[in-house]
Amino acid sequence: MADESGGIMKLMAEYDRRYVYLILFLVVTIPLLSPIGMPISVSPDTRQYYGILQQVQPGDKVFFTLNTEFSGYNEIQSGIIATMRVLVEKNARICFGVAHVEATSIPELILKAVHDELEAKDYQYGRDYVILGYVMPNEAAVAAMAQDFQGSVTQDWLGRPIAGTFLDEIDDWQDWDLIADFTTGIQTTSLLNHFALRGTPMIVNCIGVMIPSQKPYVDTGVYLAILQSMRGGAELELLIGHPGPGLTAMDAFTFGHYMLILFIIIGNVGYLGYTRNAQRRAG
Amino acid sequence: MAEILKNRQLQLVVMALSFLMVFLPYFLNIPALNTASTKLITITAIVTAFTVALAVIAQFRRGMNIINRRSRGWYFKVYMLVTLVLMLLFSLMGRESGPYHWVMYSVVNPLSSVNYGILAFYMASTCARAFRARNTKAMLLLLSGFIVLLYQAPLTGAFFPGIEPVALYLGDTFGFAAGRMFLISVTVGAIVFGVRVIMGNEPSVLGLGGEE
Repeated sequence: MADESGGIMKLMAEYDRRYVYLILFLVVTIPLLSPIGMPISVSPDTRQYYGILQQVQPGDKVFFTLNTEFSGYNEIQSGIIATMRVLVEKNARICFGVAHVEATSIPELILKAVHDELEAKDYQYGRDYVILGYVMPNEAAVAAMAQDFQGSVTQDWLGRPIAGTFLDEIDDWQDWDLIADFTTGIQTTSLLNHFALRGTPMIVNCIGVMIPSQKPYVDTGVYLAILQSMRGGAELELLIGHPGPGLTAMDAFTFGHYMLILFIIIGNVGYLGYTRNAQRRAG
Repeated sequence: MAEILKNRQLQLVVMALSFLMVFLPYFLNIPALNTASTKLITITAIVTAFTVALAVIAQFRRGMNIINRRSRGWYFKVYMLVTLVLMLLFSLMGRESGPYHWVMYSVVNPLSSVNYGILAFYMASTCARAFRARNTKAMLLLLSGFIVLLYQAPLTGAFFPGIEPVALYLGDTFGFAAGRMFLISVTVGAIVFGVRVIMGNEPSVLGLGGEE
């Protein structure tokens, strides 16, 4: 049987994908249910991002853009919440804008997560933060906000006028002190084109697959810093000393990566062994 | 009048003028041009918002056609139209609480999350099965991927800090070279496409497909 099928080497080279699914499920689920709290390292990118957040001054106007569907939110929520926490501690004034219909439900989750900090700092709607909702459906909308904010946005997400809020101080791209963008890639390029390239300071927290395409903008100075996916969020949580969903997930993150490495080794050992045996038989 | 509006030359002139109105203020500081450009962009944003309504109407017409013909999977269209109408009604009843809020938080968000989570299994399986050292190039790729994967596991960096400079070197050189190349190609392609559009060589943009 072993000879006919190619033996254990072939089994290792062509393992059933369901084994990967099953083991991945286990190595992710178990640490999530009972976290171990393994140590993690902090990357230079996260330190740079943290450094930019530390420069935020009280009263700074921050455009907090959620360029994500709800699905993507799960990957970057640790960075979103940790960033929000720092901004509140810095007494920044925050305006939420979203680029996807699903994201309209995210600000409520963020505000719930930092409820204690908001209470402690006596944050009030309108004076200190505003939720605009789905104001970035396309590039034209982003461009309009960059050039004539008051002309393009007049209400918040519940239809209440924004006149009388801190947004009265915003006329165009120059009036924002910082854009903190959290993205799966929807209108980030539009924000980059119409805000960051003109000179609005911008930082980005993106999902893993976007990192290679976004990192060059940090090198060129268009973005001030980048926070990489959930890992970056967890590192930021560590730096601000406030554990959250990111650090909780890092055990599963570590085990998931090690599992993948193990499967790659098994597959390659099997492949090399099997092809060598096949060559020997043929020769 | 309709014939005049359908005139290709006229459409190209309007398009070229619109382009210049938005493009030139980036280089010339002429207040009147800046104002006109801003107005044009705001008008575009508002007009584009109406396309959502247009999409809903089009989706309704298409869905009703499929349902009336009892085409394959017509019941999915019924489901889609019913949920579409329900969400519209729910949103009119308030968004901070009530049925819209419940649907968003208890149905849409969990389903969206599950959809994303499932991807992890496919990605892990593909990655584990695709990385095979079939030749020297594949071996080098495998080695680089191995180092980056090890570094990406947060625990590794905590115990073996020496891996960080190696992984960062791979990312900052080979990785970003490829990333920059991709970005530059896409941008150059977009510029070329834009120039072709303005020169009238891409008639499909104006709904004039087939004409050259």
